[in-house]
Amino acid sequence: MDIFDHIFFGFGVAFQPVNLLFCFTGVLIGTLVGVLPGLGPVAAISLLLPATFHAPPVGSIIMLSGIYYGAMYGGSTTSILINIPGEAASVVTCFDGYQMARKGRAGPALGMAAFASFIAGTLGVIGLAFLAPPLASIALKFGPPEYFSLMVLGLTVLTFLAGGSMLKSLMMACAGVVIGNVGLDLITAQPRFTFGLNILLDGVGLVPLVMGLFGISEVLLNVEQKLSEREVFKTALKGLLPTLKDWKESIGPLLRGSILGFFLGILPGGGAVISSFVSYGVEKRLSKHPEEFGKGAIAGVAGPESANNSATAGAFIPLLTLGLPSNAVMAILLGALMIYGMPPGPKLISSHPQLFWGVISSMYIGNMMLLILNLPLIGVWVKILKIPYPILFPLILLFCLIGAYSLNNNPAEIGLMLFFGLLGYLMKKFKFDGAPLVLAMVLGPLMDQSLRQSLLMSGGSGMIFFTRPICLVIFVIIALILLLPVLPLIGQMRKTMDEVKET
Amino acid sequence: MRNPDQWSSLFWLLAGIGITLGSLKYGFGNLQAPGAGFITFFAGMILSLLAVVFFLSSLKRDEKLHKGVKILWEGLEVWKVIYVFFLLVAYALVLKPLGFLITTFGLLCLLLKVKAAYPLLKVILISLLVTTGAYLLFQVWLKVQLPRGILEGII
Repeated sequence: MDIFDHIFFGFGVAFQPVNLLFCFTGVLIGTLVGVLPGLGPVAAISLLLPATFHAPPVGSIIMLSGIYYGAMYGGSTTSILINIPGEAASVVTCFDGYQMARKGRAGPALGMAAFASFIAGTLGVIGLAFLAPPLASIALKFGPPEYFSLMVLGLTVLTFLAGGSMLKSLMMACAGVVIGNVGLDLITAQPRFTFGLNILLDGVGLVPLVMGLFGISEVLLNVEQKLSEREVFKTALKGLLPTLKDWKESIGPLLRGSILGFFLGILPGGGAVISSFVSYGVEKRLSKHPEEFGKGAIAGVAGPESANNSATAGAFIPLLTLGLPSNAVMAILLGALMIYGMPPGPKLISSHPQLFWGVISSMYIGNMMLLILNLPLIGVWVKILKIPYPILFPLILLFCLIGAYSLNNNPAEIGLMLFFGLLGYLMKKFKFDGAPLVLAMVLGPLMDQSLRQSLLMSGGSGMIFFTRPICLVIFVIIALILLLPVLPLIGQMRKTMDEVKET
Repeated sequence: MRNPDQWSSLFWLLAGIGITLGSLKYGFGNLQAPGAGFITFFAGMILSLLAVVFFLSSLKRDEKLHKGVKILWEGLEVWKVIYVFFLLVAYALVLKPLGFLITTFGLLCLLLKVKAAYPLLKVILISLLVTTGAYLLFQVWLKVQLPRGILEGII
């Protein structure tokens, strides 16, 4: 079968009525959480994960993926209409989108955001369909040492690209590795860091952890803020279709954003947020009128919106081909796939083709649904934005509580979630990013396993990581990444030394 | 302690030391046959080292942060966080004995009063509506076994 046969096979799976329903539900919920500030795709996917345990795995992954890329669509609506990004990847859309709205051009801004998202999402899906299979066939040659090196690389890149201090991110990655290894040791069956609690024998559950770190903590942070009225753009929305001039100004940024976003999405920690910022920076630099950026330039909407959408497709590549998540959402999807008994990795494409090709094709269908959904439903989203937060936050908390309880019908799961909720709240207060912790927590047991297997293979020699060519290349890259922040310091030292010598 | 970073680095240093010592208890093994505490030992060690580096680097930038950790909660309604968190813990504790319907209704009534002064009737109506909706969605439609508590036998 060539690639087109696979794609047709995927469409056959995605067009099954039940999968269409899952796809529709996913993109609808995704748009909703994208629209609602304070509830991002990570929290939404974590909340809904327990509900999918009784559903078919392919449909569940289609729905959870739909939430992810649907949130990217929805996020732009709040950015443009109320200058508040619905989720982190839409921060950049505020810069020019809101300015366009203030100038009476909210319609074309929303329309361009939707079209850019659709075109980029589609291009991203095509890229995913063509790039993932060859990468998976290369990954089949990987052994435990290569996997261990790749995981270390993934965590290093993530900590390098994550917002804030790299030191803090590295600390979170270490804590994540430990949390991931809580529970019975796979080889010796010895309990580790369980403190005598039965609930920890099977390890720390991904769902209570992410719901606590991203859901509960976010609510606690919002609860302590003094309420301010959300000012929703009041002028009637008309003329959603961008003009020919708008298209002319946007097509370049849109295509560049799609390509840039896709490749940045593949990188661990790259994801939608960084893609949108990089795209904005590139467009501003390339523009003939950079002074218009920040004052309502439509290119400032088209570029970042296309970048954050194609990044979501790119992020699926390392997950589906190597079994390595590149961001927190992918880490949750990795956990979900494991729970469904479909561990992602190079064999996933051949062992579960209905999942791989079905999800890819559903993403294309989902992008079409979003385009059809978003433009006529903008009025509805605006109304939803008016739900007061005092009513919204108890609902979010209730979803978290039921979600945690329903995992094992055990209130102790709620306790675990609340513990991570408090930890997440304090982490946000002290400016520690939760994403490296979640990623390392998911990778922790895999790292433990592959490291121990590698050492067993080599008879206890750590040189195995430097004698195998792929490992060596990966560790050289890791060393370069870790040295990168130090390089300017070396330059500065040399300059100072030269100055001292001259005097 | 002059700034929040010093507090957090100290916390992670203690956590790192605890993890390292705990890992030794589980068995480090050796390079030929790594033990159960092998990877967590290294993770704990690196965490402790990074925490020390972080503590030292935080000593240099204390000019604006003389107020310690207080600065993180300045001008915020922190008691509401404590209150909401207490309510959630209480919910976890009484969920099984009292049952989903009573506990959820009670929790929602209290939570709805946290950020706004809604009239009591409105609070009761919203709580009733949401509790019933959640019960129908999770118990009836999604077949989640929610605890019935003291209403066992009635519903």
